This record gives sequence, C-alpha cells and structure tokens, in this order.
Amino acid sequence: MSLLRFENVSKSYGDEEVLHDVSFELDAGDVEVIVGPSGSGKSTLLRCVNRLTEIDDGAIYLDGEDVHAMDENALRRRVGMVFQDFNLFAHRTARGNVTLGLTEVLGLSEREATERAEQYLQRVGVADQAEAYPAELSGGQKQRVGIARALAMDPDLILFDEPTSALDPELVGEVLGVMRDLADDGMTMLAVTHEMGFARSVASRLTFLEDGRIVERGPPERLFEQPDHDRTREFLGGLTDLHR
Amino acid sequence: MSVDETEPAAVGELPGRRRLTVLAVGVVFWAWLLARWAYHNAVLDRVFGALGAPDLLRSEVPVRNREPWLPPEPFASAADAVASLGLPEVATGWLVWLLDLVAFAIESAPALAEGAYVTVYLTVASMLLGLVVAVPLSVARVYGGTALSWLSLAYTELIRGTPLLAQLFLLYYGLPLAGAIDSVDLVGSGSVPGAAVFVAIVGFTINSSAYQSEYIRSALQSVDEDQLVAARSVGLSKWAGIRHVVLPQGLRYAIPGWTNEFVYLIKYSALAAFITVSELFGRADIIASDTFRTTDIYVIVAVFYLALVLTTALAMERVSTAVAIPGVGQHEGDR
Repeated sequence: MSLLRFENVSKSYGDEEVLHDVSFELDAGDVEVIVGPSGSGKSTLLRCVNRLTEIDDGAIYLDGEDVHAMDENALRRRVGMVFQDFNLFAHRTARGNVTLGLTEVLGLSEREATERAEQYLQRVGVADQAEAYPAELSGGQKQRVGIARALAMDPDLILFDEPTSALDPELVGEVLGVMRDLADDGMTMLAVTHEMGFARSVASRLTFLEDGRIVERGPPERLFEQPDHDRTREFLGGLTDLHR
Repeated sequence: MSVDETEPAAVGELPGRRRLTVLAVGVVFWAWLLARWAYHNAVLDRVFGALGAPDLLRSEVPVRNREPWLPPEPFASAADAVASLGLPEVATGWLVWLLDLVAFAIESAPALAEGAYVTVYLTVASMLLGLVVAVPLSVARVYGGTALSWLSLAYTELIRGTPLLAQLFLLYYGLPLAGAIDSVDLVGSGSVPGAAVFVAIVGFTINSSAYQSEYIRSALQSVDEDQLVAARSVGLSKWAGIRHVVLPQGLRYAIPGWTNEFVYLIKYSALAAFITVSELFGRADIIASDTFRTTDIYVIVAVFYLALVLTTALAMERVSTAVAIPGVGQHEGDR
C-alpha cells in the first residue's frame, strides 16, 4: 500500500483554482520532487498533506487513512515540514526548537527530549550550535535545525517547501547534503525544489506541476531526457540552464 | 551602538558619572524608604517582639506623629538667618524658600514614606493582577474568533473610553463592593488595609488590564504569523502554539509598552486618594490641609513620584535585558 495517495484533489482560493484534479501516490522510502513555475500550486499541494490548507475536493490518504478524518495534530505528528524561510522558533535555541514538539506533542520528559534533540542535531551536523538562537545561526545552519526539528518527531514523511530557496548559494550544498543523507536512510520525502542536480540524483520521481495540474510525472531521467510534453522540456531546460 | 551623550535614550544609558550619581541618589533614597517601611511595619514589629529582640521598631506610632530621622531645625534656622541678612528679596528669596522647603520636606518625610508604601503596593499589585487579566484578553482579541474577540474589544474600549476616576467612584460609592469587602473579618484590622485600598486595587486592575491588553495585543500581532504555522506543523494545538511560541515572543515585544503603562499607573494611582486611600498623594493632601503649604508639599511629593517612576524605568530596563534573546524584540537591531 502506498504511504501517501492524492485522489482527484482540487483546491481553490476564491475563483482561482490552485490545484486541479491532482492524483498521485508515493511509497514509503520514495523521494518525490515537485517542480513548476511560481503560482503553479506546489506549496499548496504540500500544505494540503498536513492540512495547513484544507482541500475542496478529492481525498488524501496517509497510509490508507483519510487525512481529513484524522485529528490534525495527530496527522502533523506523522508528517514533518521544512519551510523555505526556516520558521525556527525565534525565542528558542537550536536545541529548544527540536525539543518543543518532543515534550509538548510526544510527551517526552525534558531530559529525554534534550538527549533526542542532541542526537538529531548531531545527525544534521549542528550539534555544536545547540545553544545558539536562530538569529545567531547562518541560513544553512537554520535550515538544518529545521530539518532536525521535523526529523526528531520520527515522522512517516517529511515535506520540504523550497528548503534552499532562501539560502545564499554557498550554503545550499550543506542542506542538500543532509537531504541526500535522509534519502539514503530511506526517509520518505515530498520536496518542492528547483535544485535540479538533487532531483536528478536523488529523486525517485519528478512531478512537473503547472496551473494546478500535473503536466507530467515520472523518473527524473525520463523527464529530463525524453519528456512527453514540450512544456516539460522547456521548463526543465530553463531550470537546468539556470543552475548550470 | 553609540549613544549620543547629550540625549540618553533612557536613565540606564546615562554616561558613566552621571549614571553613578543617579544610582547613588537612588540607593540613598531607597535605603531610607525601606528603613522607614520596616521601622513602622506592624508585622515585622510583632515578629521581632516574638523573637525576643529589643523593641526597636515603632509600628504603633500613628502616621501623623512619626518623627523624622534628620533634624529639620538647622535648615529652618538657616532660612531665617539668610532672610534676616536684609539683602534684596530677588537675591536671596529662592535660597530662603529652598532651605524652608528642605526643612518642610524633612518634617513631612515620615508621612510621605507611609504614603509611598501604599502607592507602591497598590501599583505593583494592580499591574501584576492586570497582567493576569490582560494576557487572556489580548489572546482572545487576536486569536479568539469573532465572539471572544468582540467581547475583549468591548471590554477594552469601555474601560479605556471612560474616566478612571469615574470607574473608582462607581466601584467605591456606586456598588456595594466596599461594604462586602469590609464585612471580611481581617480587613482593616492590624496591618491589613481597609476596604478602600482593596477597591482601589480592583479598580486599577480593571483599568490597567485594558491598557495592558492593548499593548500586548499589538505585540502579539507583531510576532511573525509563520511562527504559529511552524508550531502547528510540529503538531502543537493552536493554544499550545500560542502559549509556547507566540506569547514568549509577544510578551518580550510588549515590555516597553508595559513599562509605559506601569509608569502611568504609578501616577494615576494618586486618584485613589479620592476614594479615601491615604497613598502618597493622599498623604500630601492631608499635610497640605494641616499646614496650608500647598505648593511646597506638592513640589516635595512630585520628587517622590519622580523617584518611583525613575526606579521603575531602570528596573524594567534590567528586566528587559535579563530576558532578552538575540533576534527577539527590541534588541533585534543589535546584531
């Protein structure tokens, strides 16, 4: 059974339809990269998974369970999210960012949470910054803390919403490195990103979304080398040139 | 950050020597004030008595009969001496007035110290109780949905839109509140103040909670919305997210506004005198009617208020620094 399944999902903001009849599924361990021009509905698609945005039509299933029927906090405990602007809790240290969910949502003791947080900060390579506040961290460090925060909750799936778009170019690598490691460890990931190198080498599937519709979806090599649609070739070609 | 020497942004930012002078004056003032409070404190007196300590404290002396610790006479006779020099009034008038004022200040100081005691606990109690009311009010206003938000707004506007004095009169004379409080056995006996003080605390709490909630509301609104989104994405409920993420940041943003309200309340607490509370202004009023030296006593009491206000400002700067977090609140520009 697939871990995540979108079934004819539609979503509108007022008159504007941002997702139109989107269906796809994802198995455990899959890394799905979604690309598309701005305004194509990528972020909305991610936010529908953990119900930061509610869909209008269709259904989303997590491990066979309709997410709409689940308690939203229970759902979010199982679906991590990493944001473009990091969204670290500004008043908590790197460690405190990780522990909040552990103590308040998973009910761990302060000590267990701290130990677990240290462990995950170590895993993303920012253990030495555990005491630092977000304002004292570089963008790359912030995003790695953001990943540790999501990861420490031991989610079934992590959503990445343009995790490297707000970073200085020289900091992109460290974040992609962590994501690559996660993929190698078998973490299921749904990522909106324009890092084509990452998509090519790590993604099990690439989805090209435009105007709220899936234009084309498949293994990244096929979409890069011989896409069915000219529009896909045009868009991916543009991205690849940009990132060359 | 460089501070323009001629325009310190706050008392705490005064350059070295002037800062020391302010602090030294403050230390002397507070040492005297605290000693005065202890000297006439009934509870402390009883504790000392029970411990078998020598009877040093004078809690039984009525406020009017309390003796100053410095003799006023030298200043009074100095004033007389200067006056009798026969120099033109223009040249020495101010010095005579000043020396007389100092003598008068020394005589009135014990009663004013007692008044300051009431002012301080009235203000501190009302600020803290007001905060307890203001936090839920402001959260209701920002996150409470239509009904709660309107309720909070209505309360805030009603309280802020009517005179504090009218509120106090309504509570004290209009409602049976004072009688109800008075019927409690302890009230007004021994070191427990009378009903009017409790009514004043209730009034100031209600009033300042409305103002505080406005400051806190705007502080909550200045917390980045994505902070709550992030909390929710980890699985925290909306209320848990507000409690653990929005409030810790928002309350830090609110400190300058809250300090402002604190300083206002110290001065507005003078209105308690109108419902028979002998706080600082009330004491000054009594002295004024006893001595007819109206101008002089109000100048002296102004110095007391100034000292309380400056102390509050300094203390709140300390608090603000103590709880500061890089990237949160007023210290944002520092890095």
